[in-house]
Amino acid sequence: MSTTWLPCGNYHQNYVEDHAWWQTKFIKGKMIFLALILFFVIPFFADSYILSVCNLIGYTILGALGVQLLIGFCGQITLGHAAFVAVGAYTSTLLILEFPWPKIILDLGLAYPISIIIAAFTAGIWSVLFGLPSARVKGFYLILTTMAAQFITVDLILTQYVSQIGGRGQAFSLPPGTIKLGPWVIDSDLKVYFMMLFLVILCTIVMANLLRSKVGRAWVAIRDNDISAEVMGINVFKYKLLAFFVAGSIGGIAGAFWISNLAAISPDHFPWFWSLWLVGVILIGGAGSIHGAIFGSLFMVLIMEGLQLAVMPLADTFPKLLMDFLFIKEAAFGLAICAFMIFEPNGIAYRWWQIKNYFNLWPFSY
Amino acid sequence: MVAANEQNKNGILLELEDVHMSFGKVKALNGISLKVRKGQIHSIIGPNGAGKTVMMNVINGLYHPQKGGVFFKGQKINHLKPYVRAKLGLARTFQKVEVFGGMTVLDNIRLGRHIHYKSGILSGSLYLGKSAKEEIEHRTFIEEEIIDLLEIESIRNKPVGMLPYGLQKRVELGRALALGPEILILDEPLAGLNLEEVEDMARFILDVNEEKRWKLTCILVEHDMGVVMDLSDKIFVLNFGNMILDGTPEEVQNNPEVIKAYLGEEDLYSTRG
Repeated sequence: MSTTWLPCGNYHQNYVEDHAWWQTKFIKGKMIFLALILFFVIPFFADSYILSVCNLIGYTILGALGVQLLIGFCGQITLGHAAFVAVGAYTSTLLILEFPWPKIILDLGLAYPISIIIAAFTAGIWSVLFGLPSARVKGFYLILTTMAAQFITVDLILTQYVSQIGGRGQAFSLPPGTIKLGPWVIDSDLKVYFMMLFLVILCTIVMANLLRSKVGRAWVAIRDNDISAEVMGINVFKYKLLAFFVAGSIGGIAGAFWISNLAAISPDHFPWFWSLWLVGVILIGGAGSIHGAIFGSLFMVLIMEGLQLAVMPLADTFPKLLMDFLFIKEAAFGLAICAFMIFEPNGIAYRWWQIKNYFNLWPFSY
Repeated sequence: MVAANEQNKNGILLELEDVHMSFGKVKALNGISLKVRKGQIHSIIGPNGAGKTVMMNVINGLYHPQKGGVFFKGQKINHLKPYVRAKLGLARTFQKVEVFGGMTVLDNIRLGRHIHYKSGILSGSLYLGKSAKEEIEHRTFIEEEIIDLLEIESIRNKPVGMLPYGLQKRVELGRALALGPEILILDEPLAGLNLEEVEDMARFILDVNEEKRWKLTCILVEHDMGVVMDLSDKIFVLNFGNMILDGTPEEVQNNPEVIKAYLGEEDLYSTRG
């Protein structure tokens, strides 16, 4: 949004410094501190429950990044992102289970990593397919065409046809040991956690870099004013499809990652509500910033887990609460969105930005 | 191709030939022909609703005329989309500012250079080598040629949506210049500006028209007669989709029909200030 605040009297000497990510020692220190916490403190001091919550946060971030790209940066409202997550998950699963991998690749544990890349690509292409209507329709109308993606992909193709592959019926089970990443079998929350960290950081870096180069600027221009974007030499349709491709790919990575955390996958893991949920995540986190996707995911997952913890002790006296937790969760989701729309429509990321600015100028007000 | 050579010889950069454009039963342009010569400032005036903006939209491809031809450097560009025309060297600003409000001034101008950036999605996502180097090169160009020219150093990192109207217009001009065009279409660049801003803007237009670095051909749509008469090499007068006159400022000032249609019976120099 804005550039870094430098201490009074300090100026950049060249454009390389001005284009750098972390421009001051303080910011560098802060990020190293964050990395230390993520890589050393959490994995070695957290128990399995906290790690699983972290993994859920990571999964939500990966999903929300794609939605953020489409809604927040390119202005293409989407309500079917779970479809592309599902395509990624199913592509990866089918490749692992059904594809006749050469023995050497299996021995080296490359089947899963390769399947993630293919899953990203497939989900990207699939997403482009449903992005095609964006050439003609804008705004609210696009909601319906992207919802079609959800229903066609998950409710029709995956449920009716893909699930029948191999005669298994509803779900594909992933036996322990099938998901192997190089020499490591991904079988514990800790290993999933490290994989999640790697993928989240990778996708965040890719997104952030895209946004400060040609492609990302074209996306934001299309969001802000598509007519003048076209007049300035941007092939609007091409860049919209490119946005759908990248968003779908990140969704595919999210799906392919998430199967490492599941014992079996079925279409039920990718309901339409999950698409809506991801949109809620970026609305609460703040549309139009990468921080927004991360803060939104943190907030939503933590609130829901907190709610669950709060309901547990009450369950003895009110057993119905536990049974109806799904409804409580949805109600809380709705309430949170209402509250944010009224009190902080720009999301948590904007608040964060304000807080940072306040301390950058502290103790002066401007 | 004979026509193309002839046009180049005459120094005609842009030509409209018998353009008809109607919306339903409303004839917005009725057989308009216009020849814009290289290096000139060609103004287009006319009362509200005369079809000036429609004409600009026809030139840069937002509208496709039902009949007639648009030629750029002798090449027929009727069928080309706006973004292709931008690559050929047509840039424009809009009557109502159409900046990218959520982006900073610098990013707006960088976006203007979109067609000159080479890096694709892969190198952009890694931001290494070529991609990073390219950003630096273009940044240098933008700082030295555009931000310096338009005197917007102090606001380069501000989101454009938060800037006052006059500065937004200036950013829009900068964005159009960043494209590196051969023809610059200015659709009411002075509307809504105060006197000081009008003087600045007129100076910028003259700068980019006359400076050796730019030498831009300008098409200027404007209501401020004082400015139009001072800046223009030629003036094209439009009324309800029909051409009244295409001539020098003196001819326009002395033409009774123009005075009746547009300037009213009163004094010609009814400029502000």
